[in-house]
Amino acid sequence: MGKNKQILAIFAVGYLVILGVTAVAAPLVAPHSPTRQNVEVRFSPSSSTHLLGTDNFGRDVFSRVIYGSRSALLVGIVAVTIAVVLGSLVGLVAGLAGGTTDNILMLLMDSLLSFPTILLTITVVSFLGYGLLQVMLAIGIIFSPVFARLVRAETLVIKTEAYVEASRALGSPIVKTVYKHIIPNLLGKVVVQCSITFALTIVIEAALSYLGLGTQPPEPSWGMMLKDARNYLVLAPWMAIYPGLALALTVLCFNILGDLISERLNPKL
Amino acid sequence: MKKRIIIAFLVATIVIFLAGIGGNANSVEAKGLNFALSGNPDSLDPQKTSGTLTFQTLKSIYDTLAEPDQSGKIVPALAKKWEVSEDTLTWKFHLRKGVVFHNGDALTAQDVKATLQRITDKTTASPKAKEFGAISSIETPDNYTVVLTLKQPAAPLLASLASGWGAILPKSLIDSGHDFASKPVGTGPFKLKEWIRDSRIVLEKNNNYWMAGLPKLDAATLHIIPERAVQVQGLISGQIDVSYIVDKDDVPLLKASPDVQIKESLTSLIMVMAINCSNPVLKDIRVRQAINHAIDKQKVLNIAYGGGKPIGTFMDHGNAYYKDFTALYPFNPDKARKLLADAGVGKETVFKLVLPQNYEQHVKAGEMYQDMLEKVGMSVQIKLVDWSTWISDVYRGAKYDLTVIGHTGKLDPHGTLGRYGTAKRYVKWVNPRAAELISNAKRTSGFENRKKLYDEALEIMATEVPFMYLGSSFRRVAFRKNVVEFRMTPKLDTFDFRWTDLQ
Repeated sequence: MGKNKQILAIFAVGYLVILGVTAVAAPLVAPHSPTRQNVEVRFSPSSSTHLLGTDNFGRDVFSRVIYGSRSALLVGIVAVTIAVVLGSLVGLVAGLAGGTTDNILMLLMDSLLSFPTILLTITVVSFLGYGLLQVMLAIGIIFSPVFARLVRAETLVIKTEAYVEASRALGSPIVKTVYKHIIPNLLGKVVVQCSITFALTIVIEAALSYLGLGTQPPEPSWGMMLKDARNYLVLAPWMAIYPGLALALTVLCFNILGDLISERLNPKL
Repeated sequence: MKKRIIIAFLVATIVIFLAGIGGNANSVEAKGLNFALSGNPDSLDPQKTSGTLTFQTLKSIYDTLAEPDQSGKIVPALAKKWEVSEDTLTWKFHLRKGVVFHNGDALTAQDVKATLQRITDKTTASPKAKEFGAISSIETPDNYTVVLTLKQPAAPLLASLASGWGAILPKSLIDSGHDFASKPVGTGPFKLKEWIRDSRIVLEKNNNYWMAGLPKLDAATLHIIPERAVQVQGLISGQIDVSYIVDKDDVPLLKASPDVQIKESLTSLIMVMAINCSNPVLKDIRVRQAINHAIDKQKVLNIAYGGGKPIGTFMDHGNAYYKDFTALYPFNPDKARKLLADAGVGKETVFKLVLPQNYEQHVKAGEMYQDMLEKVGMSVQIKLVDWSTWISDVYRGAKYDLTVIGHTGKLDPHGTLGRYGTAKRYVKWVNPRAAELISNAKRTSGFENRKKLYDEALEIMATEVPFMYLGSSFRRVAFRKNVVEFRMTPKLDTFDFRWTDLQ
């Protein structure tokens, strides 16, 4: 690893750790309530009481950015978990079973993949109703094909390896084979994919909240803060800059993290 | 210095957005007005929608038999005069001669008859068909006379004929099944040249317009710009001549520009938070009173709606039938807390505040209401829904506790008050006395006679508070200094380009 990369890695991991800690400890870190309105001080620029200024209702932008990280991370964790579990199951079954089962399952997954992600998420959310829970479910479902394809491809390769065939020939049950041989081999690639998907889910959650389909007001979310800021770009630019910065940094750091893990797991010789 | 760079960067971004508009602003037309329209109309068929944007656009393309002037008084338009019989059951309209449709057809009584039949025809499925339901027969004794016979007295009919949905269409095209939704053909001051959805609507002058010397403009382009910040930058840079939805927060920015003027007028909107009176807790009048006391109305008007005048009952502030009841429920959080305690409502009762997500102002107001209600000890949970869900679940289905909306004050008070006091309206507020007064007023003629009935009905509505009455908001219009005579017709909430000119 080069020196620059090392710095980058420290920066990314450091940022994500801080983000995680502030999200968990938001009530302790945030100086104000994220939802309390105080219209007398609306649109104030940054000051000692309001570190990053206030928004159109006089709410503290700093506190809202901190609380906003909660919904971003929550969506990331839950949606990625859903996608990994659902996608891996489908991929494993398809890869191991082969034949018609494989064809049908992969056809389903491919048809999900063929839709533009945002469009499909909006469709699913409109069907399920607006809200954070629905968004997490929708994103989880929509990202499952990525994992299904990955897991299936790996399974197909691994299952023909001599040691796997040998363990099968010795009569070890399929579940044990999956657990002992296939999953450990998959893990690396899935973790890398998780990190990239995590970044994507955060962007999608922000996009949906921007459209008013995600987090419900007054609960803060970065996407919604950007939406609120849209009409005050010239009057109160800080309303857009800080949540935007938080969003961009988070996504960047998750991508850097993904690259790092991928490099560690597949060292180039 | 840093702040300047940031602002310069933002302005540059917005200007790039505007570049698309700039292209055709400085070219061809001699006197073309560039107007910022806040959204895309769903259809341009005046009889198949109730969308405000449609009627705002069609005001320039169609005419009606009568029309409201700027003060709200109904004056002749395509009909040069009309007579109503003693029993108010026969209405005789005399049409103006020499009026020509954009396709060359001359306006005759047959066109009026065909149009009215089209509205009431079930296959048209006009959302406004009911307003014309009292008409039992339409006769045309000659080419320039239309006689309407009514089943029962219907004072609000004239207002319906003067509204956007009373637009007169040519019979020949109605018969041939013309696609009015995308290619409107009327008698109005402008013809539709092109409509590029979500981009612009281009209108060009109708040289044969029946009002001598009008319109003064050669063309008007309605640029569809939903983003307020983009409209504001367009005005300052001169790519937009008129914007009619200027927010209070943008006023200082516009005032700083020497080329821009701002005019403020009261809209005919009735902004409310509706309360579902069929909810077992909200059925208790004390809870509804508490909600009314908990809200600082002027503050919400100023911040969410850009200023306005509070109202105390279900009628727009500028209406001739308006009566002031604002003193009944002033902002008084302590009284609200006491009323809630009396009614036994605490934090454990959660009210669902449903907001139409596409109306930013209502969402903003909703966030303020939520905060103010929480401050007097209520639990309120916001739920955003899309417009069609709001219509089906809230307005039709009454599946909500609280909701925020603006009702458009109608030309005739019956349009505003009809069927309130019965369970047919979404607030589910039942009051037989109010319902009786309202339905009697519909069959009564004469302003004074009707006012007496409406006064009492409005007083009952003001006291029993099936709504939290907020107020009527201001409409701010900003225009470049070279624009003269830009007119709004407040009663229709539309703009009127006929007298507008560019210097």
